[in-house]
Amino acid sequence: MKASSNSQRREWIFFIVLVFILLVLQPILPSKMMAAEILIMAFPTLAFIVLLGYTGQLSFGTGSLFAVGAYTTGILLARYDTNVLVAIAAGVIMTGIIASIVGFFCIRQVGLIFALLTLAFNQLVWFIIWQWRGLTGGPDGIWGIQRSSLDFGLFSFNIKPSFNFYIFVVVLFLLTFLFVRRLIESPFGKVLQGMRDSELRATAIGYRPITYKWMSFVITGMMCGLGGSLFALHQEYVGEHLASWTTSGEVVMMALLGGSSVLIGAVIGSGAFILLSDLLNQITALARGGGWLFILGVIFILVVMFLKGGLYGGAESLYGWVRARFESSPPPPKGPQSLDKGAAEAGAQPADR
Amino acid sequence: MFNLASLLAQIFNGIQFGVLIALLATGLSLIFGMLGIINFAHGSLYMLGAYLAWSFVQLFDIPGKLYFGLLFAFLVMALVGIIIERLMLRRMYGQPEAYQILITFGLLLVIQQGVALTYGTIPLALGIPDILKGQVSLFLFEYPLYYLFTMFLGLIVIFAVWFFIERSSFGAVIRACAEDPETASTLGIKTTNVYTLTFALGAALAGLAGGLHAPMIGGLQHIIGGEILLICFIVVVVGGMGSIRGALLAGILLGIIRGIAGMFWAPASEFIMFVAMGLILMFRPQGLLGRKVSS
Repeated sequence: MKASSNSQRREWIFFIVLVFILLVLQPILPSKMMAAEILIMAFPTLAFIVLLGYTGQLSFGTGSLFAVGAYTTGILLARYDTNVLVAIAAGVIMTGIIASIVGFFCIRQVGLIFALLTLAFNQLVWFIIWQWRGLTGGPDGIWGIQRSSLDFGLFSFNIKPSFNFYIFVVVLFLLTFLFVRRLIESPFGKVLQGMRDSELRATAIGYRPITYKWMSFVITGMMCGLGGSLFALHQEYVGEHLASWTTSGEVVMMALLGGSSVLIGAVIGSGAFILLSDLLNQITALARGGGWLFILGVIFILVVMFLKGGLYGGAESLYGWVRARFESSPPPPKGPQSLDKGAAEAGAQPADR
Repeated sequence: MFNLASLLAQIFNGIQFGVLIALLATGLSLIFGMLGIINFAHGSLYMLGAYLAWSFVQLFDIPGKLYFGLLFAFLVMALVGIIIERLMLRRMYGQPEAYQILITFGLLLVIQQGVALTYGTIPLALGIPDILKGQVSLFLFEYPLYYLFTMFLGLIVIFAVWFFIERSSFGAVIRACAEDPETASTLGIKTTNVYTLTFALGAALAGLAGGLHAPMIGGLQHIIGGEILLICFIVVVVGGMGSIRGALLAGILLGIIRGIAGMFWAPASEFIMFVAMGLILMFRPQGLLGRKVSS
């Protein structure tokens, strides 16, 4: 109990420090909008981590849900000139609807088949976006999205300047992060964790695993959608590449790079990934042939092979090592129960057929 | 547009495409059944095989160069498979599946971008050899000889693999390892070598499929692996994980459905496969010929 609250506090401190770092960094990052992009990509990554960590399901469909949010917001703003907040809300709701349809088919499967099914649905959504030119613009995408003033009645907040937009994203991300924390601590979250550890036991107590899995899929899907909506505002353009499975793949990479056993891994991962790809893009003359992707692939393999737990896990074990070195006392107890355990168990299921 | 001859031609096309996919799906299925790993790099191995065959045909101007090119792709990809398994995948057994998926995903990027850096990103053309050019008359319609060739070669190879796994004594060793590695190793079977062999076989089949498919693709590009990988996944899921016959059946079935749907509306050929998968999984979650997984 003590260990858990300790490490939770550590995670919180880490998070607040990170937000401050991002606030300071925003003006000096290579590109002005990069800080916002990092936090925006942290939305689907957070959704991925929650789904993997608390239901043990590895989703390859985050990219398509991200795109649904982006397209909904983009179309509403560009064609119908709606209120920004309404457009974002519509994006989240629309993603929820799509996620509930996709989830209906996917959640009945476990482990790798679930991953493949979400991947297939991801491609299906991409295909629809690609083909439905009248609605989505097909290969051309949606142009002419404008970030305008947010009107709260009493006061308004202009998100056109990149710094203001960044603040807006930070606020929304903090709210989402708090929501996820509450959700995990809530009875709903406890049931999910119980199901992850033993579905049979949870069923015997009287919970319907399907319903809970479905709900968690929809909730995390809406988080992806919120990220997508913000991305449409961020880029002021939406393209079909968002829905392709490479976006989902990038989200998975971010999660693993940052550390998929802690929620904060989402921010670390997306930050590291975006900075790294920008850096590689700039320093390599290979950029034209997609050489940076090659190096990224190598880094990725190395992380998976030698740095389990991602950057967060690496930092944590380094911290433990340093402390053990200098205090000659036993290292601090391990953080909250490793979320990867759930994944490992889900993975073990198909094997003992 | 709607006459018997064109319908038959589409069915043949579907079978041909299905057999090619089944070659890939068989390897994917074997690797999954044995190592418990979903190989995201499978499409890249296929793509690499196609490039290897293309390079061979370009470099050596000898009679029957395409056949040798295919053999070359098969053997080199087996070697690549051995290297990948020994260097990387070996460390991943027993790890959470997320890591296993991700390492093959990283591999996908490395192979794909490595090929892009070596060969460039401009589409390349691999011609059909003269002997196999031309058409065969099949009662109602003319059919390209090369398509028939790939169809029969693919079927023979799949049958050989099935026979090797399910009927030969060495196949019994492989199946024993898949079923119960611990007992198999106490009986003196070197399970690690069996794992290596399985992955090498899967990679070699992917390479062969790539080599076979290469002349049919208008332009050979480094990105062809991604699209085929998704179709393969669908075929493996529909056919049932770990079943060779399932992969062949699902491959041919989806190939035919795809071909016929394409007659009516070209983009539907991609769309219909997802729909078919959704429907089949609704009623048979374990796939057409898969064993029931008790959860």
